[in-house]
Amino acid sequence: MRSTPRTERRRPTRWMTGAAALVAAALLLGWVIANFPRAPIGPRYVGAGHQTPRSGGTFIFAAGSNIHTLDPHFAYDTLSTAACRLLYDGLLDYDYDGNMIPGLAAELPKMSDGGRSFRFTLRNGIKFHNGREITAEDISWSLHRLLSERIGSPGYPFFKSIQGAPAYHRGEADRVEGIVVLDEKTIEFHLDEADQTFLNALAMPFSYPLAKEHVEKLEQAEGRDAVGRHPVGSGPFTFSRWERGVQVEFERFEEYWAPQARPDRMIFLENISSDVASARFRNGDLDVVYRPSKVTRLFLRASEAWAPYRAESPSASVFALGLNCELPPFDDVHVRRAVAFALDRSKLERLDPGQVIAATQILPPMLAPHDPELPTRQGFDLERAKEEMRLAGFPDGLIEPVTLWVRGEGEVRAAQLFQQDLKAIGIEIELKMVSFATYLKETGRPRVAQAAFTGWHQDFPDPSNFMDILFHSRSIHPENSENRSFYRNPKLDAILDRARPEIDREARLALYAQANAILADEAPWAFLYYPIDMFAWQPYVKGFRPHPVWLNEYRNVWLDLPRERVSQSIYEQETGP
Amino acid sequence: MDSRAFRRFRRNKGALGGLVLVVAVTVLGLAGPWLAPYDPVEQFTDALLLHNGLPAGPGIEPGHWLGGDVLARDELSRLLSGARVSMLVAYLATALAVLIGVTLGLVSGYVGGRLDTFLMRVVDVVLSMPFLLIAIVMQRVWDAPGIWTICVVLGVLSWTTLARITRAKTMEARELDYIQAARALGLRHVRILARHVLPNVMGPIIAIATILVARMIIAESALSFLGLGVRPPTASWGSMLNDSQSLLLGVPRLTLYPAVLISMAVFGFNLFGEGLRDAFDPKD
Repeated sequence: MRSTPRTERRRPTRWMTGAAALVAAALLLGWVIANFPRAPIGPRYVGAGHQTPRSGGTFIFAAGSNIHTLDPHFAYDTLSTAACRLLYDGLLDYDYDGNMIPGLAAELPKMSDGGRSFRFTLRNGIKFHNGREITAEDISWSLHRLLSERIGSPGYPFFKSIQGAPAYHRGEADRVEGIVVLDEKTIEFHLDEADQTFLNALAMPFSYPLAKEHVEKLEQAEGRDAVGRHPVGSGPFTFSRWERGVQVEFERFEEYWAPQARPDRMIFLENISSDVASARFRNGDLDVVYRPSKVTRLFLRASEAWAPYRAESPSASVFALGLNCELPPFDDVHVRRAVAFALDRSKLERLDPGQVIAATQILPPMLAPHDPELPTRQGFDLERAKEEMRLAGFPDGLIEPVTLWVRGEGEVRAAQLFQQDLKAIGIEIELKMVSFATYLKETGRPRVAQAAFTGWHQDFPDPSNFMDILFHSRSIHPENSENRSFYRNPKLDAILDRARPEIDREARLALYAQANAILADEAPWAFLYYPIDMFAWQPYVKGFRPHPVWLNEYRNVWLDLPRERVSQSIYEQETGP
Repeated sequence: MDSRAFRRFRRNKGALGGLVLVVAVTVLGLAGPWLAPYDPVEQFTDALLLHNGLPAGPGIEPGHWLGGDVLARDELSRLLSGARVSMLVAYLATALAVLIGVTLGLVSGYVGGRLDTFLMRVVDVVLSMPFLLIAIVMQRVWDAPGIWTICVVLGVLSWTTLARITRAKTMEARELDYIQAARALGLRHVRILARHVLPNVMGPIIAIATILVARMIIAESALSFLGLGVRPPTASWGSMLNDSQSLLLGVPRLTLYPAVLISMAVFGFNLFGEGLRDAFDPKD
């Protein structure tokens, strides 16, 4: 190849090319900005206008994290529960007002023996997805699986009051004495003592029946976890496939006992962050969005066109900083109180208006006996916080920083808000971000995490579900402890043990009010906020409304298909010039 | 730099522009935290939040020139103090990479033989490792995302090009008469390498290291963007990108500020580095 001698001539050309490229780039950028597709201000699609429920279509929803299992005996997080709600059914269920209703049971149970015996009769013609009819023996067998030590289900504590359950759990008995199958359709439960939450426990996914022959075959061939990957239940949808961490697909169960589900298929997308979910929802690619991102929430709230298709309601959840009462410095109640008084929760309310309510006690506002005037309630009071630090013997603050475990980006953000507040009383916070699985494992072990961003969503509307599980010393275990602050207080235990079986509602609530006051005062948790949930759904999604107990409840939706794209002219009228 | 190279560099307008940018971001990194009008982690939840919870924009609140960030902190102060972190990581990681890469390159090229073969296979292995994946794993293993960890992770994974270039240049130099003469005189190897070989391979190393700084800025941003970078609430340009993504649709300016700074810094280092390379090595 001939070599070109380098001359001064070439330089101007090079510069001109450069300048031209720059101008072209600027023009391109300008064009992109000018023509950048604007997010629509209303729904992109509307339904066909049918008034009565129709079958067909695919319903798509998403969640920000991943589903752990489809085995209801291990489903103890909101996402696994949501998925199990499609695949399984239990004896009991809740309606949209939060009242208990019969599910697989033909009617609510007959109670006898002073609230210690319950007799259930099953409906006729209820079938597992494999086609076999469900009998009382299946209910019994599933509960035995749940309660066995071999399985190690987190659901066991809810059923401890069944006669002989602890002995069976320890392996000292072959059967649980208190579960009695009377005939094919009738089953009876006998309790050691009255338990006001027993029926709630029976309505939890933990007691959803599994098909014995299917489970035994799977467990033998592939181990215990396989059941969670190949579920066979009796719910309105059958399992189709699960691309782990990506999506679960469901198909309608044609032999369902109740009115059949309407959509042909359901797709539950995993690991879609709220930003992405919000954008996809606005594009019409998701049928429903739960807890959308802040910008989308503001947009949906302001948009007239979306008004009929959104709902905001306080969630029966509480978020808090969990303080480990076994580890310094939080083994000292004064340091815990100092934290509880130092947090300026109003900052959260200002940062996310209408999205959170400042929390001052364990029970969320809709759950009795929540008391807005609780004398021992927590709240921002810098002087008291400093006073408590002085009482603890740290007038100038702690020397060592405290490690706070957080589970995700959103919590990192919230935790940063409070880093400053705690700095003001001399507590340095270091954030440690871990995955949800690691978090569950490690914070459930004694003496590991000093402090953790934590929270609780109710399993059923009863104060015991918050207090017994989270703060009773019985909930402390060497592994998978549900009492993650490792708080022990014999006085509280005694009150909770009296409250649980109490039949008189007023007396029961009075006991829980006492417990509520103790927990706010002793501050094993420094309460942060109660979230307000937002749901929005596409106009062609019918039959959906937020459920007071089940967080993502999509069993009853139907799709008004074919959906139609909102025409450009309407769109522009709405948008204006 | 010899005078011919310097002249070539001075005539390269792009390289000069790059130099200006490099000096600018470096000064920003050095002086940024002192120039910041406020504490970068202080929250102004009264002043810097609109009624709907979005951060106030530039000029709404006097004194806060660029408004607030996602958590109502002063955006300008965070950009300025973030400059320190971003530049520190970029420079330190590059320094580490240069240290490892040049040392191994010199030894490999000078000694040759089996050691050379072995070291070059090590280079191949490191090159074959997916950078981001390793960085993520290392961060998880050490469990302490912080400035120093990031520097080490980035440095340890990016010395390969430098090692190869240094080796090649050293092998060239090794055969030259003056090195042979030095050896014949019985100078110690370390002395030959440090005093005679290194100065002669320095040119391309500087050029490549400069471009490497640009890559490190991007790598730090990427790691911080993925939440594997500096520990919150410390600001770096990458972590600011991460913070702002939740408001990308509503408040794009929060993404724009750090993005523009990152682009400017990277562009500057690249131009400067290319200019240096052309100046040192006019053959290309």
